[in-house]
Amino acid sequence: MENKLSKSKEVILTRVRESQVLARLPEIMPESTDGLKSHHQPESDLLNSLQKEFDLLGVETYVEKNQKAVCKRLRNLLQDKSVLSWNLDNLPYDAGTVLQSRNVYFERDDKIIQASADIGLTGCDAAIAETGSLVLLSGEGKPRTASLLPFEHIALIRQSDIYFTMSDFFDKKGKEVSQASCIDIITGPSRTADIELSLTLGVHGPGKVIVVIGP
Amino acid sequence: MSHFSDRVDKALADDNLSEALKKATSQLVSRRSTAFSSLEDAENLRDIARNTKMKILHNLEDNLLKFEKSLQKNGSHVHWAKDAEEANNVVIEIAQKQAVKKIVKSKSMLSEEIHLNTALIKAGMQVVETDLGEYIVQLAGDKPSHIIAPIIHMTREDVGNLMHDRLSVPFSDEPEVLTRIARRKLRQEFLDADMGITGANFGVVETGSICLVTNEGNARMVTTLPKIHVVLIGIEKLVATFEDLNRFLKLLARSATGQKLSVYTSIIQGPGKGTETGPEEVHVVLVDNGRSGMLGGDLAESLACIRCGACLNVCPIYKNIGGHAYGDTYAGPIGSIITPGLRGLAQWHELPAASTLCGACKEVCPIRIDIPKMLLKLRQVTPPKVKASISLRMAIKCFAVIAGIPKVYKGFTAFGSRLLRFLGSKSWLTNNIPLLDRWTKVRDFKTPAKKSFQRMWQEKIAKDGK
Ligand code: SF4
Repeated sequence: MENKLSKSKEVILTRVRESQVLARLPEIMPESTDGLKSHHQPESDLLNSLQKEFDLLGVETYVEKNQKAVCKRLRNLLQDKSVLSWNLDNLPYDAGTVLQSRNVYFERDDKIIQASADIGLTGCDAAIAETGSLVLLSGEGKPRTASLLPFEHIALIRQSDIYFTMSDFFDKKGKEVSQASCIDIITGPSRTADIELSLTLGVHGPGKVIVVIGP
Repeated sequence: MSHFSDRVDKALADDNLSEALKKATSQLVSRRSTAFSSLEDAENLRDIARNTKMKILHNLEDNLLKFEKSLQKNGSHVHWAKDAEEANNVVIEIAQKQAVKKIVKSKSMLSEEIHLNTALIKAGMQVVETDLGEYIVQLAGDKPSHIIAPIIHMTREDVGNLMHDRLSVPFSDEPEVLTRIARRKLRQEFLDADMGITGANFGVVETGSICLVTNEGNARMVTTLPKIHVVLIGIEKLVATFEDLNRFLKLLARSATGQKLSVYTSIIQGPGKGTETGPEEVHVVLVDNGRSGMLGGDLAESLACIRCGACLNVCPIYKNIGGHAYGDTYAGPIGSIITPGLRGLAQWHELPAASTLCGACKEVCPIRIDIPKMLLKLRQVTPPKVKASISLRMAIKCFAVIAGIPKVYKGFTAFGSRLLRFLGSKSWLTNNIPLLDRWTKVRDFKTPAKKSFQRMWQEKIAKDGK
């Protein structure tokens, strides 16, 4: 197989090399990236824009003043439902304390058990105000299943992790981004419009996304 | 396979289809234009995206080699396949090595292009499509008819009946209920599968990342739950950096569905880490299958396509005949270039002719691909295969004589228009004019205006005193 494969590679690259010399591709046009630079916004604006986008997407949003309020909100949201969570030390605001004496599953559990949880609980590496997106960098202790398998996803966001654009975030956290096994950018609840273009939520991923934004 | 004109006739005769097509395409068109109007500097962004793609294609060999290195650095396995057969065999070999029985797939046009499902099933494996539309298409034994909306040709009743039949569930025509049924059924498939197969919206050269975009989240399932993930990627689907990727994502979602960003963008950089639930192996198959050949010819520019579907929705031909009539994986204006480009012109020479050359496709294409120019090029090389019938040739000869003598021409047109006005609403008559009936069977003959253009023109000249 190895031999055959390296031969195909050679064949393809040779053809490409020959073709790209002949290629009558359109000229590269003059361009300017000036207009695309991000507009740096004051912090308060960031939160406002983010909330506006969340509203449009149907993401339920709570803004809390301090750690205690975040935990209280989380307790109310979880009620007595089962939870699939990021490892506790990866959650902000000591939210792990809220999970004590509940049915909680983690990445080490079998995937069938993980899939049985009612709610997925995660932190959030960045929230993007321009589009209302959550950016989750997966890796050990931060399983991608938590934002995917349960029908409800609760994400805890620190205000300092809000960026206006994706590029702002990539610029600042390039190293973390490059080390993640998977970068998930989540913009609203799972949706489809395949049947007569009528919008339906929660087709495979969560049908409900809730964010709690702390200080 | 059936002839192009038969497929077109079939599509035009289907009232359900034409209504669904009109509704869907006009909705997608208006969503797109709203989304673009909210994008600052959209035109500049399109220029940059176009340049980015051209730069990649100009240096494709280098870029492919760099991409391979970056993928390997992330711990992914890289395979090369020069044609469909090789690509299918690579996937089958990976699957057999791990004794894979069940495979889940997320929408991939490339996999349809190479008929991967047929090959896998032949090799004894079970394959399940997981995009809701594609799942329904698979249940029906049908083919997708639109890049973004695969079952644009089906009504909710069709879907309800199908699920009732195939999945033994009670009939419903509520999209919400039908979607829940699919969620339940497919969830089990995701958990059972040993291997996941996806295409790729973009491959990032610098970082070896594979970018996948969905609204449903099925690509995330496919790349998270099974222990092996296989990516099929055409050799043209590269972008250089994350910054490029970011720009393309903005354009793709807006062009395809009118969203600022699709719900799920996953950027995959190798297998899951440590104890994380994620694939243990990631295999990337770089597929040529005719692309390197296209790069050297007149159709090179079409390799920049990001498969957003915008050109389909604005195309007056697509809006009437839908995707199936195009007869292969890629439909619409861009399909009329890619299909002959990949499969050869001999069997597909009608496709480039199926265009009004109105230019709407080029207008909306986020990469500004000059589709009409390439269609024209293809028409120039189209072999004149069918000789026109004797009656048609005679008719054209007569016309040439008549049109050559202005006085005679004027007389004939005046007579003709008077005759048609006289026949007026008697459509049973006008619709059965010999020689013209292939045209008039499906269209009403228009009654000419009282005053001809020539008359109006002369009157205007007289009045203006010129
Ligand atoms: S040709 Fe342009 S508009 Fe058509 S699918 Fe490709 S990128 Fe979209």
